Amino acid sequence: MDAAPGPPGVSPASALPSSSWSLMASELSVLFRRLRTWAMLLALAAIPILIAAAVKLSSHPVAPGRGPPFLDRITQNGLFVGVTAMVVSVPLFLPLTVGVVAGDTIAGEANLGTLRYLLVAPAGRVRLLLIKYAAAAAFCLAATLTVAAAGALAGVALFPVGPVILLSGDTIGVGESAVRSLLIAAYIAVSLLGLSAIGLAISTFTDVPVGAMAATIVLSVVSQVADNLPQLEWLHPWLFSHYWLGFADLLRQPISWTSFSDNALLQAGYIVAAGALAYGKFTSKDVLS
Amino acid sequence: MTRVWLRWLPAALVPVALAAAALAGSYQAGAATSLPHKTAEEVIAMIGRADVHALSGTLQQSSELGLPQLPSVGPTATQGPASVIELLSGSHTTRVYMNGPAQARFQVMDMLAERDLVRNGNDLWLYNSADNSAAHMTMPAEPARAPAPRATPTPGVITPDVVAQHFLAAVGPTTDVTVGDGTTVAGRTAYQLVIKPRSTGTLVDSVTIAVDSASGLPLGVDVRARGQAAAAFSLAFTDLSLTTPDAALFSFTPPRGAAVEEKATPQLRALPGKTGQGPQAKATASRPTITGSGWDAVISLSTGTVPTDVRSAPLLAQLTQPVPGGRALTTSLVTVLMLDDGRVFAGMVPLERLQAAAAAQ
Repeated sequence: MDAAPGPPGVSPASALPSSSWSLMASELSVLFRRLRTWAMLLALAAIPILIAAAVKLSSHPVAPGRGPPFLDRITQNGLFVGVTAMVVSVPLFLPLTVGVVAGDTIAGEANLGTLRYLLVAPAGRVRLLLIKYAAAAAFCLAATLTVAAAGALAGVALFPVGPVILLSGDTIGVGESAVRSLLIAAYIAVSLLGLSAIGLAISTFTDVPVGAMAATIVLSVVSQVADNLPQLEWLHPWLFSHYWLGFADLLRQPISWTSFSDNALLQAGYIVAAGALAYGKFTSKDVLS
Repeated sequence: MTRVWLRWLPAALVPVALAAAALAGSYQAGAATSLPHKTAEEVIAMIGRADVHALSGTLQQSSELGLPQLPSVGPTATQGPASVIELLSGSHTTRVYMNGPAQARFQVMDMLAERDLVRNGNDLWLYNSADNSAAHMTMPAEPARAPAPRATPTPGVITPDVVAQHFLAAVGPTTDVTVGDGTTVAGRTAYQLVIKPRSTGTLVDSVTIAVDSASGLPLGVDVRARGQAAAAFSLAFTDLSLTTPDAALFSFTPPRGAAVEEKATPQLRALPGKTGQGPQAKATASRPTITGSGWDAVISLSTGTVPTDVRSAPLLAQLTQPVPGGRALTTSLVTVLMLDDGRVFAGMVPLERLQAAAAAQ
């Protein structure tokens, strides 16, 4: 369909000359040199640090089964700080930051009046969409790795570190637990890709970035609320947030990869569907600003 | 502008294509397959001859018993008597590993938690990650005899094989047994054995057992209740491999920091409330009386068999409803009548039949 002659600025996405890489590099440097991006990453890093400090300073030991899952394990093993922080940040904080980045992708440029300059260069709208999405995906990975790294550092600094007890009751060494932490970070980064694609699609529909951000975040909340209603059980496997907490399957012995692959498939479906929507809107849009 | 609609075409087509792919996938999973014809007797004989010593697989269990929704999160969800009811209601994914008659591992995968049952020889370990507690039991040494033809049921382990044996034990002159269309369960072709009670006095409408066409192992069991479209109880493998699992899975040492409790010989039952024709009937000290036979049998327990604290548990009050002379738990499949004088009646029959049995004694 890319071959069809379209409005000026639409060029085949298949051609990826070196200018694409330079565009990608400049997009990433713009994203990660923004004060806002750093503020969000710092806020995410504060979550595990806050959890570790609160548990360390509290005089009462945490009773099993109280508070977020794994909280009671922290005093025995600092490596659980990262996992607890993941559980806490997956429902709200991570979608919040991802919503801000993804909602800003196109609408932010339109709002600043820079979108037309991006399209004046022979970049092509499809390629711009792909590069914007790749940058948002890179932020997903950066955000989850920030939580994991800050959790690991805070845990190592404040608590003893030793063999990790898995959900199955088996014990693994520190090295393998680091691998599993990275797998969890990868799982959550994949989990957020669908939401990023939705944010990108919404972002093409408006010139007001705040609106796109808010809509994306609201959708993530709506999806999670619907996932908790037993009356909507038929809908649950189709919700992009359905497998968000399934990363616990990576803490079983042997690892259960079912939720990882189900999640990846579901997110891929959302990426394709939202991507098609973003393509439809963005390539037929009159860019005036 | 003439070409604008072309650019929207993917947005319209992609969701349709995705939905079609998903639907095609789910149809393929339960697609009818053609298998060499077998009679019901031959399929039952296949189950009897099943020679599966080792397996690893994933079980999906779901129940639609008409019980009120129990809280599935929170500290009380997986402890005490609630855990049994919680296991029987709702849906669960469980991984099963078995090797020979004396090694088994059963992992109930809860959200962000797991309950494990590990049997290695005569050692039986229970582990619950929600409160990091473990319990150890020593199984009574079995008399030396020829190895059992299949894994002897480990207490608490519910596999399609165990459930199928329970229902096959009830097959008799009061039952119609037919072979339905071939099906596919966990990627394996299977015969469907349909057991239908002739009696109208039972709540059970039919039981469908999917039997692996290659090994004779029951792969899934669906129990349907009268007047309910959805299966009241269904348990089936979603994936299955008949290879020997890793031996390390069966060696369990309680993790550091876990609360370990030493328990007496297990009194767990595979399936409470089923007709007492299984091997577990002899396990209870006070022997239950069985009135009637087949599908509309009623089990009665005399005064004192059920401890008072179980009877007065708040959860039970929540699940049961008051009836003249006691309280009753009515589900679409099983009814339990607890009288104020301590007697308990249970069966896969309507409440009226339990009350009649109580009045007759």
